[in-house]
Amino acid sequence: MSQFVFKMPDLGEGTVEAEIVAWHTKPGDSVNEDQLIVEVMTDKAAVEVPAPVSGRVVSITGEPGDKIAVGSPLIVFDTAGREAGAGSAADAGLDAAVGRERPGASEGVAAVAAPHGPAASEATAAAVAATIPLEEGGAVRGASGTGAAAAFAAPPLVAARSGRVMASPANRRRAREAGIDLATIAGSGPGGRIVRGDLVRVSARPRVAVGGEVVAETSGERSVAGVGSVAAAADAASTTEIKVIGLRRLIAERMSAAKRNIPHFAYIEEVDITELESLRAHLNSTLPRRTGGGASGAGGREGNADTRTRADGSDGHGGDGGAGIRVGGGVAPPGLTYLPFVVLALTRALQAFPQCNVRYDASREVLVRHRAVHVGVATQTPDGLKVPVVRNAQALSVWDLAAEIRRVAERARSNTATRDELMGSTITVTSLGKLGGIASTPVINAPEVAIIGLNKAVERPVVYQGAVAVRRIMNLSSSFDHRFVDGYDAAAMIQVLKDLLEHPATIFIPQVSIP
Amino acid sequence: MANMNMIQALNSAMDIMLGRDRSVVLMGEDIGYFGGVFRATEGLQRKYGEHRVLDTPIAEGGIVAAAIGMGINGLRPVAEIQFADYIYPGIDQIASELARIRYRSAGEFFAPVTIRTPCGGGIRGGQTHSQSPEAIFTHVSGLKVVMPSNPHDAKGLLITSIEDDDPVIFFEPKRLYNGPFDGDPNKPAVPWSTHPKGQVDEGYYTVPLGKADVVRSGADVTVITYGTMVFVALAAAAALKLDAEIIDLRSLVPLDVDTICTSVKKTGRCVVAHEATRFSGFGGEILAVVQEECFWDLEAPIQRVAGWDTPYPHAFEWEYFPGQERVKKALALVMEAQ
Amino acid sequence: MTNPTRLHLPTPPARPGEAPDFSYVHLSPAGAVSRPDISARARDIGFLSTELVRVLDDAGRAVGPWHPHLDPADLQVGLRHMLLTRIFDDRMQRTQRAGKISFYIRSLGEEAVSVAQCMALRPGDMLFPSYRNQGLHIARGIPLVELMNQLLSNTRDMCKGRQLPVMYHSRPGNIFSISGNLATQFPQAVGWAMAAAIKREDHVAASWIGEGSSAEADFHHALLFASVYQAPVILNVVNNQWAISTFQGYAGGEQRSFAARGPGYGIAGIRVDGNDFLAVYAATQWAAERARTGSGPTLIEHVTYRAAAHSTSDDPARYRAKDDAEHWPLGDPVMRLKQHLIALGEWSDERHVALSAELDGLVAASWKEAVTHGTMTEGPRLNADLMFEDVFKEMPENLVRQRDLMRAERGAK
Repeated sequence: MSQFVFKMPDLGEGTVEAEIVAWHTKPGDSVNEDQLIVEVMTDKAAVEVPAPVSGRVVSITGEPGDKIAVGSPLIVFDTAGREAGAGSAADAGLDAAVGRERPGASEGVAAVAAPHGPAASEATAAAVAATIPLEEGGAVRGASGTGAAAAFAAPPLVAARSGRVMASPANRRRAREAGIDLATIAGSGPGGRIVRGDLVRVSARPRVAVGGEVVAETSGERSVAGVGSVAAAADAASTTEIKVIGLRRLIAERMSAAKRNIPHFAYIEEVDITELESLRAHLNSTLPRRTGGGASGAGGREGNADTRTRADGSDGHGGDGGAGIRVGGGVAPPGLTYLPFVVLALTRALQAFPQCNVRYDASREVLVRHRAVHVGVATQTPDGLKVPVVRNAQALSVWDLAAEIRRVAERARSNTATRDELMGSTITVTSLGKLGGIASTPVINAPEVAIIGLNKAVERPVVYQGAVAVRRIMNLSSSFDHRFVDGYDAAAMIQVLKDLLEHPATIFIPQVSIP
Repeated sequence: MANMNMIQALNSAMDIMLGRDRSVVLMGEDIGYFGGVFRATEGLQRKYGEHRVLDTPIAEGGIVAAAIGMGINGLRPVAEIQFADYIYPGIDQIASELARIRYRSAGEFFAPVTIRTPCGGGIRGGQTHSQSPEAIFTHVSGLKVVMPSNPHDAKGLLITSIEDDDPVIFFEPKRLYNGPFDGDPNKPAVPWSTHPKGQVDEGYYTVPLGKADVVRSGADVTVITYGTMVFVALAAAAALKLDAEIIDLRSLVPLDVDTICTSVKKTGRCVVAHEATRFSGFGGEILAVVQEECFWDLEAPIQRVAGWDTPYPHAFEWEYFPGQERVKKALALVMEAQ
Repeated sequence: MTNPTRLHLPTPPARPGEAPDFSYVHLSPAGAVSRPDISARARDIGFLSTELVRVLDDAGRAVGPWHPHLDPADLQVGLRHMLLTRIFDDRMQRTQRAGKISFYIRSLGEEAVSVAQCMALRPGDMLFPSYRNQGLHIARGIPLVELMNQLLSNTRDMCKGRQLPVMYHSRPGNIFSISGNLATQFPQAVGWAMAAAIKREDHVAASWIGEGSSAEADFHHALLFASVYQAPVILNVVNNQWAISTFQGYAGGEQRSFAARGPGYGIAGIRVDGNDFLAVYAATQWAAERARTGSGPTLIEHVTYRAAAHSTSDDPARYRAKDDAEHWPLGDPVMRLKQHLIALGEWSDERHVALSAELDGLVAASWKEAVTHGTMTEGPRLNADLMFEDVFKEMPENLVRQRDLMRAERGAK
């Protein structure tokens, strides 16, 4: 009987642990290689984990909701007579087969070489990329070099899991320069050593399998829904316990951390969007001509349906989720809401205020300024708040921007968003729509330094050109990280944004281009 | 230009220096009338006379001491120690005296002595004809230590050494006297005439001390070596189809740290190879320098190829000699780590 | 002490507390040994290496064929040099005991060996001394201040702080750098002489070692090379009976004189009374002429006595009779020359006292000057940067770097 201990794989991006969402196998089951065995969740996405080997499940570790550290045992297979795919031949030559711990080699190889379509080929490609280009006939290479080592009877390497990280000097330097904390990476080299491929993998963020919907399992107690819904039926007189797990727990942790670490200051301004509304209506009226169908007018609604309030009063929804214009069952371009205009104007404003378009790397105490604007769009989903990302918003037309906002929001809601679609935003916009109130204090989406919130657009009497007039007013409630954004700059940036929105034609004047 | 093997190149160097500088004298056992057991001084006594090319008693200590005395008196002696294995009787005069005369007399006295001696194995010479004791001398401050690997370098380096006012211990890898040797004893010997470094200028030229030669440029791995191992390393790297950068140090003291570090910083991988015994061999010094100067560029531990820590055996010559297999293993290990 | 084994263990005649006994020293009557021609073959004059060449008899008269017939003025110069050597030694010994220098080696009782021989040689002859031949420096007129600067390792130290005290050298004075290693200078002198011959110059080289050091292999190399090449060299074995606590028996002196090793190598050997200024002069003169005329090398054994300790680190009362020196049969070199000069009517006690005072004053004045250039504890100091110079002709990169590291350690700029 040869055992294979499969350990929680490193799912990239500095993941140190993952939460078990659902088991798809149990002890005693026979599974084939590549078969789905468990779903786990990282801070952003649910991940399906396939079996690295064919065999019988001997034991599994952890229940749904449990957090398992990357690199710790997850499931033990009995692989008698059968070996796993790429890389495990080398493992067999070492000592994975007899249950002897070689954490780095086995789980690392499994994770990297897990034959799961694009992930596997990308990981293998990464391993190859990390090796030295070869001419034909070469005998010594990277991952397969373990064979060469075995041939020369290199002494067995002991796993260095006592807190010491094993990495060559060059890789330590690379990690240091890239801001990667070596302690958060499981190495795929001998004895758990971190090899160059591991760093390549981490910084390239390879896609892992996208999980299915996380739904409540058979256990009625488990819920990943938001605060407002309770899955289990309960007596009005009794209490119901909802485990804070899954996405809710993540949201809680991130909110706490953001508030704890970031000195927020708020800046609230009212914006006269009468002209913007006029432009929006006009553009939406061109829709039937664009689509050629009998589309109804643009949803002349600001904001969206499907609103839920976050604990701090801001609305977590975004995009045009759910309220898109359906044209005869086909898919027509949705009508424009204010959001794409605001986002586009924001990208223009940020050109003059790049200090608001940064991500702060606390470990290195470095502000990483981005030239592109990747806008996080706060989106309420059945699972809770998510912030999918519209990348390179500055380069999109208002139509494409609207479509992309819709698209990523839909992905977030349907739990089909990839990691890339959920990460890397440089600034976040949150729209409170018709529930919006007059002002709010949104929580910054760390590690960004600013968040722009849209309050409700209403018609108000104001003094306009010397006389009282009814204008459409929408407040912008923004929060900034006062460590890195001074009040003056924040105010100035919002003023620029306001100017653009109050004279919407100026949004579309070409300026210094952001590639 | 002429085809010369290393012996001829050395002979040419001494011939030229005897002609150029009247203060140059040669001395050693069997070097005068007989022309040296390896023929390095062939014809020179006939050409320059017995007062310039002297046979000596079999007394290495006396040879070195007499050379020192001559050096003090304005001559420029080139003393041959017949085999490096026999240099030990002369160590007191070399380390306690020759190395320190300039220093302890604040430059008032110095002895510009060059001591030439054949070293190294691969010739089935057993314990008393195969040693490589260079590390003993690199450790003595005040001595320069040189080891060429080919006729062109040998001639230029010997001329430079003779002209140098500091004492130089000049090691000659005897296995390379007649041709390059890649470590495979079963192949027919290759003469220097087939090798570009066997093309030697017949006139006067110098090769500087303290300057290593990049024998082969490459990007995969740096091999730092000297003497016979230069050719073994070339062959081993070629067999593995590695794009290796092979550095022939040529000069151990002074050491060309710049060339070493530029290379290791480029490749990130390093193998050090010498024939001499491993423990406390000169390779340890090279490793220390590479570790100190290039640590953050190292992708893998530095590998060391050397003779085993035994006296040089006779019947086990080819198991002892660090041949291509040992070099290949080191190369494999250093390439493996990612 | 009975010795039941076949292993002979040399023993000095008088240990501490025992009565001095120099009956083992073979003496010849003054003037009794003949003086061969300088070109005589070594094998024919073997007697010279076992007898004792003497000129001054016990009454201070110069007798015999070895009489050099020196001018009294030269003898006075010789006396002056010897007396200055002694006074210099005495004062330097005291400064060491006073902690002003770290180390000193006296040549008490051996002044004639250095001074007489030096005066019998030419300025162009190269000298390869041991550390007990300071008489050479004095006889060659090296200023006392220079010697003292070296003892103090001060800012004018000829060795720039690198050598132990008494390890002098003088390029202009043709005195080679003294090494702490024993006997290394012996074969070096032979090499120098060989070079002189190659260059067809008529200089000779002379070297000194103690009888104890003649045990070293370098002694053999020197004799061998001198013999093989018939090098124009004078090789001196200063047999002062003691090498620290090692009695001359351990150097082989019990079985054969040291001079007798010469004929064993085919080299002329002369055994001479080292405390007899005239005899030493005469023997040297013979050997120098022999070498200069191409008749080859000479080994001279100077039979003398190390009247003081080996160095300031030594206490001879621990291994030999305390009053040993007083019983030495061949007297004291300074006293004997003084006595001889007085007998010639060329000297007097008063003049001797006056000379002593003058030389004492000279030493004191030199010392006063020397200390202005720095001492171990006061005044200007040598820059430690000098440590890195002269290792090689040009300072290499690694030493430049190390010097900078040393400077940083020292806190200097």
